[in-house]
Amino acid sequence: MKWKATLLMAILVFAVIASGCIGSTQETKTETSKVTLTGDFTKDVIEIGKILQQNGINEVKFAAWGSGDPNSVMRVYGIVDAAYKINKIWEQNGIKVKITVTTKYDQSFKDQYQEFLSKQPLGQAGDFFVNSYAFLPTLAEEGYILDITEYAKAYQNVIDDFYPNLLEAAKYKGKLYGLPQDTEARPLYVRKDVAKCAGLDVTTLPEDVKSGEFTWSDVYYWAKKAKEKGCAEWGLIHRKGSAHPDLIQFIFAFNGKLYDPSTGKLVLDVPAVYKWLYVEWKFAQDGLLPKDIMSWDWAKQIHPTIVEGRTLFDIGGTWYWTEWQTKQYYHGRGLKPEEVKEWFAYTLFPAGEKGDKPVTLSQPFIWMINSKAGQLNPKYEELKDVYHALAFLMIVKASDSEINAIHSVISAHLPVRKEAAKLIKDENWLNKLKNLDLDLAPEVKDNIKDIVEKTVNPINAKFLADVSYMLEYTHLAPAHPKYPALADIFKEAVDKVLRGEMTPEEAVKFIEDKIKADKELADNVEIKGEIPKEWEFPRGD
Amino acid sequence: MKNEKLRDLSFFLFPMVFMVVLFYLIPLVLTVYISFTGMRNWNVDKYLHQVVGLYNYERLIHMFKYDPTFKAVILTTIVFVLITLIINVFGGLGLALGTFFMSEKPASAFRLLWLLPRMSPIAVYSLVWYYFFHGSSIGTLNSVLMKLGVINQPIPWGQIVPWGAWSVIIFVNGLVGVSFGMIVFTSALNQIPKELVIAARVDGASAWEISRRILLPLMKWHFLYVLTWQFLSLLTTYPHLFLLVEWDLVDRDYGTTLALYVFNTAFGRGEQDQGLAAAAAVILSILGIIGGFVTLKVLQFEKMIKKPRGDL
Repeated sequence: MKWKATLLMAILVFAVIASGCIGSTQETKTETSKVTLTGDFTKDVIEIGKILQQNGINEVKFAAWGSGDPNSVMRVYGIVDAAYKINKIWEQNGIKVKITVTTKYDQSFKDQYQEFLSKQPLGQAGDFFVNSYAFLPTLAEEGYILDITEYAKAYQNVIDDFYPNLLEAAKYKGKLYGLPQDTEARPLYVRKDVAKCAGLDVTTLPEDVKSGEFTWSDVYYWAKKAKEKGCAEWGLIHRKGSAHPDLIQFIFAFNGKLYDPSTGKLVLDVPAVYKWLYVEWKFAQDGLLPKDIMSWDWAKQIHPTIVEGRTLFDIGGTWYWTEWQTKQYYHGRGLKPEEVKEWFAYTLFPAGEKGDKPVTLSQPFIWMINSKAGQLNPKYEELKDVYHALAFLMIVKASDSEINAIHSVISAHLPVRKEAAKLIKDENWLNKLKNLDLDLAPEVKDNIKDIVEKTVNPINAKFLADVSYMLEYTHLAPAHPKYPALADIFKEAVDKVLRGEMTPEEAVKFIEDKIKADKELADNVEIKGEIPKEWEFPRGD
Repeated sequence: MKNEKLRDLSFFLFPMVFMVVLFYLIPLVLTVYISFTGMRNWNVDKYLHQVVGLYNYERLIHMFKYDPTFKAVILTTIVFVLITLIINVFGGLGLALGTFFMSEKPASAFRLLWLLPRMSPIAVYSLVWYYFFHGSSIGTLNSVLMKLGVINQPIPWGQIVPWGAWSVIIFVNGLVGVSFGMIVFTSALNQIPKELVIAARVDGASAWEISRRILLPLMKWHFLYVLTWQFLSLLTTYPHLFLLVEWDLVDRDYGTTLALYVFNTAFGRGEQDQGLAAAAAVILSILGIIGGFVTLKVLQFEKMIKKPRGDL
């Protein structure tokens, strides 16, 4: 009797489990919906809206993740504004669907990247992710971001308006994985009053640098002179922390390479890296550059030293221009736009030596779409393609030249589209922006009001227009999944030569040894050339 | 009768066994398994089935042989664990004995003071020491010494290798860890019958003699517990170290222990190499098991768990 009862129970349990399985299969088996984009934004948006409505969806939820300095919030509000404009189109056409966007804005782009990596597989990462192009290869390789090559074909007119080299930064293995959001140049700032004291004429400097006449030998010469004459405490200040991407400008300035497209491998260009480390070592040993600059404090040391005029030269980014105005680096206050204009001249990063070319370096930020975008919405499996197409249209809208121009002016990043570059030169448009008399989402207006008040003025717009030419000289760090590991080694080597723990020769050997010690890095990096025997810096000194 | 006993035992032991399996055994097995895969960037779907054999261990051995700085990580681990362990155990013991001979109110206040580092959020606590030991004139220590005329130039404390970097990380972690020993030893001291101390006092024994002859022998097992616990804890600790290295306060080679190396490799770089990190974690676990076993053996742990003589 007992075994009968056991058998009955077993059959019952099996039946319950089996019915659950059968039921779930039936539930997911419905027809999928596809969208074909036409390139007509309004038409495409309406088409998507109708499909969503037919499927009973009345709210689409997305999350936008962005990061950076406090002035760069358009990296997330661009998406919020895109939702606002799409909602408007749907409303005007009687479609009862609404997009709502939640935002997450962090200070550190590296931390947010790490968070994205860990949460994407769990389906908890943002649907939109704006971050450095340097991470794009890894994200694409892992399948964490959406390949938008096919979608983009319909919007070729928009794509063509982006600067081509920036568009390249959004590609990996020939496929497009996002749209450029912003970029920047890294000028050499020159403190005008210190230059005057040392006898350096800054009026012709940008042209001399551009023509390759003024090289790093000259930077050394004037830095030394400024220090010897007591004009400034330091000759040169540069950024700290990761050598990527600021200091690798030296490699390009000494005509070196970091990547070989024919092999797809990273390159350790020994002569160029040696010259870079030698320059750093020489400046530090002669007391022109702080030996411990790599561990200086941003807010208490680096920026105050520059804005208080305690250095002649500074390697920085274009965004410094507005950062100095919005943060209290100068004796407890921010600089006025007029002060920044009066105190600082700016040029390209000079050529390493005569015969080389001046350079700058950009690290474009890219609007990427999570490959699981929209997954928290109803009927995701059936409507995946619709959600993805909608997400693509949102980054197209967020890339509107007006949004891009607003971001550029308030954060001193360079525009990524030709149309946006024209807009920032338009005085009428700038006045409208100053009064926020533009068609923007109310939430966006509220959030950028204070930043606009402090940063929108003709001086800042002119600065952006003035530095835009630098993009013609720009280089990008290689889009290679192993590059961050190599950049890490560069950073360590620079720190050691600055502190005098290693000579430039020893540091090059150190880099080589570190590469060879990591089997995977050794397979991905070609070591080329040798330390030049007869080379001297500064020339003729 | 036998089955009944087994059933009773199972019933009472089940929650504990379940927790151990869920939170200790499964993660350990998973870590060992991941160390044999090419897992990276959290991509479980892609790499979990990609078994690469001993490749990650080969990479580690290759690094140990040829990396100019990997040996610094191993050396730092040994020095950091040993010296901090001594400070934590004997510092905790000293504090417990010191406060034992004080009257209750000031003793409580004094103990609370030593608990502050453990109660402070890690980032805040690390930031305090970041500014204290900062290698420029903005560093509190440098600024004070310069004002007193002891030094002319700021000293980059954490960047003097190896001992400068080691001193900073040992100091910061030592201050956090010392309170653990203090609490355990204080509790042990409070269990010792006061009559023994009073009698010794009456006989004219000094505080030192009371400590050496009465208190310390009665705290042997607590000493063993604190020593083993702190050893394993120090071997795997990294949060304070992570911040001090991340903020460039200390040299990154001589400020990085194996535990921090595991963390950075798994989660802290552009490419997150969880396979390699798991291999390093397995080695760390083996070191922990061997170290813990040796400690228990040397201090004759088995004597403590011997059955009491006679019937209850």
